[in-house]
Amino acid sequence: MTEQETSQQILDFDVDFNAAAANVEIDPPDPNFTQTEQTEFRKRFVDVPRPVSRLVGQRVTNRIANTVIYIVLSIMCIVWLLPFFGIVFESFRCESTGLEGYIFPKKWGFDNYVRLFTDPTSNFLRWFGNTLAMGLITSVVQTAFQLAVSYALSRNRFKGRKFLMNMMLVFGMFPGFLTLILLYTLLSDWNLTMTNAPWGLILIYIASSGMGYYIAKGFFDTISHSLDEAARVDGATQMQIFFKIILPLSKPIVIYTILMGFMAPWGDFVMATFMANNTNNGYNVAAGLQWLLTDSMINDYYTTFCAGGVLVAIPITILFMLLQKYYVAGVTGGAVKG
Amino acid sequence: MATVKLTNVKKVYGKNVVAVQNFNLEIADKEFIVFVGPSGCGKSTTLRMIAGLEDITDGTVEINGKVVNDLQPKDRNIAMVFQNYALYPHLTVFENMAFALRLLRVPQEMTNESTGKTTYVYSKLSQDEIYKRVTEAAEILGISDLLLRRPRELSGGQRQRVAIGRAMVRDSQVFLMDEPLSNLDAKLRNQMRAEIILLRKKIDTTFIYVTHDQTEAMTLGDRIVIMKDGFIQQVGTPTEVFDMPANLFVAEFIGAPKMNTVPATLVRNGDGYSVEVFGVTLPVEGDKGDQLLQKGVESQSITLGVRPEHMTLTNRNNPYAIPCTLQVNEMMGSELHLHVLAADGTPLIVRVPTVQLTAQQVSSLVAGVRIYVTFQSKVMHFFGSESQLNLLAEQSKEANAASEPQQEQTDEAAKGTASQQWYHN
Repeated sequence: MTEQETSQQILDFDVDFNAAAANVEIDPPDPNFTQTEQTEFRKRFVDVPRPVSRLVGQRVTNRIANTVIYIVLSIMCIVWLLPFFGIVFESFRCESTGLEGYIFPKKWGFDNYVRLFTDPTSNFLRWFGNTLAMGLITSVVQTAFQLAVSYALSRNRFKGRKFLMNMMLVFGMFPGFLTLILLYTLLSDWNLTMTNAPWGLILIYIASSGMGYYIAKGFFDTISHSLDEAARVDGATQMQIFFKIILPLSKPIVIYTILMGFMAPWGDFVMATFMANNTNNGYNVAAGLQWLLTDSMINDYYTTFCAGGVLVAIPITILFMLLQKYYVAGVTGGAVKG
Repeated sequence: MATVKLTNVKKVYGKNVVAVQNFNLEIADKEFIVFVGPSGCGKSTTLRMIAGLEDITDGTVEINGKVVNDLQPKDRNIAMVFQNYALYPHLTVFENMAFALRLLRVPQEMTNESTGKTTYVYSKLSQDEIYKRVTEAAEILGISDLLLRRPRELSGGQRQRVAIGRAMVRDSQVFLMDEPLSNLDAKLRNQMRAEIILLRKKIDTTFIYVTHDQTEAMTLGDRIVIMKDGFIQQVGTPTEVFDMPANLFVAEFIGAPKMNTVPATLVRNGDGYSVEVFGVTLPVEGDKGDQLLQKGVESQSITLGVRPEHMTLTNRNNPYAIPCTLQVNEMMGSELHLHVLAADGTPLIVRVPTVQLTAQQVSSLVAGVRIYVTFQSKVMHFFGSESQLNLLAEQSKEANAASEPQQEQTDEAAKGTASQQWYHN
């Protein structure tokens, strides 16, 4: 320090800052100049046309609009909720088992639930087990495939990428059961129909899982590319970037994908019925419960069907309530693309 | 710790969108180089090519004399600070800084005693070593007490520090910074700018810094590389580019407010020169006159450049007074920025320190008043009205090449910026 101090150079300046002041001359404003400035200003900001005032007050219009909206919403609510409550109430009906012209049971009880598990015809446990197994396996494998496809489409640039994405979207437009007959023939050759239908269905669900890439891709797109680049500079490989950076940031979309994969088998009716081809043991819940509603069964098993419907709804409802915030973040996360 | 050399580097996006070309630059060890230019000029692309984040279409990039064109970023021994910090949101500050160290594999030479063969064994850094390096960097940056927080719990300035810290722990040969301050507010930016200057003394490595802000470029750089439309316009120290801009673009880009440029006529009378501008004939004397004579410049129409701070207010009796009408008076505190119109309607900016004026003079400077300005020959810059090149500057080959195809390149460069976003689509 002392060395620096002693060797420090001293610079002296002798500047008279006021020297120039005396010599500056400023003439009074040019009247023409200010005049034109002012007219310009008036033209642009003062003399602009004003909006016409409203005929009816803001409050009144708001109230009318709200009333209409609430009436429409209430009607829609009732229409939407009625079948749901109908099924719940009828599942507790004890006085009869067939279709009736009313919703509220005359005699309440858990008879139908007991019957669902004890009646030798219903086979509900098997259907439930089938569906659960499909749901679990599909959700895991489908998530792995779907995230891999989405990540590749989001981060890599390769020939035919745009084409591939468009093609998958277009193919996704076609309803799945168009290929029903072909798939059945194909799978029956491998003995994956009838009793083995759940395995065939798992294959079908998994095979098309990459097609659902767009939500996860939309989510990955929102994760800044500079994170990837920073990780690349830091020495991470593609694999490390995916597992250490992208995946931990994508919890909502991972959960969303798992949820979607898990739910698909519960609601699948067309494929499941067709693949099982009247083999009771190969049904999922949707196909099985529908079987209870066939002409020969409906009079004895309608209320049992209702009980089954309620039981199926319970696990999914619980799952949904628990994971709701991730589900919303997953769906909307892809929507706000930066 | 390392030299960087770029030879004829060229970047083409897609088929024919040229982002950078003819890029030749040698960066010395421990030099602080700043790439500066308007958006879309190719400065970031060049930096990303050095980092290995963009392919190099043509030419070579050498680090420490070794061509790195085909090396992955991680193998180039570089560190980079990104504009948006790019901190890993799910990791704590400590883990953010330790990320690279955890991935690092250090080669160790092992000799097999029986055969005498040497092989390399790659081993991880020990936990202690990682801890030591991270805490040391945190100490230097003053973020020791933030190590357990996550990025979203930090302010902009703190995030910036973490981003720098993450780059620091790696002991890299080259430190790349891509507009690191542009996300900060003006006050913090000034503060961080000063801190980067201090930091540079502590780290003491080769820096390449990209910015669009000429103030940052001037204050930070040992040398400044000014780019436009993919071409280098000028390479020089801050003083060089300020005092002797190679062409009109550099002249207007460097310095704020920007240099006044007006069409004028340079007249040669034997060994003397004068400039005719706004109907006033100003003699060119002193150094500038000598330099013109030395270069043998003939009479011609030119673009005359004078910086706002080099203009002075004067009175009507001054034979070189240029009468102007004041349009806007921007009071900056220590100085006034007077936006004036010359007699022929050319807008000029004059920067006047308030200490030079009396309070009464300051208050009388309202829109519409007539004032007289003048400037001396030593602050004049002469640019060819066609070539836009500085008549006095030593023209390097690149600068000449750059000025020629400029017009054709403008469209392509504009497309180039669009195509840079293509990747983020």
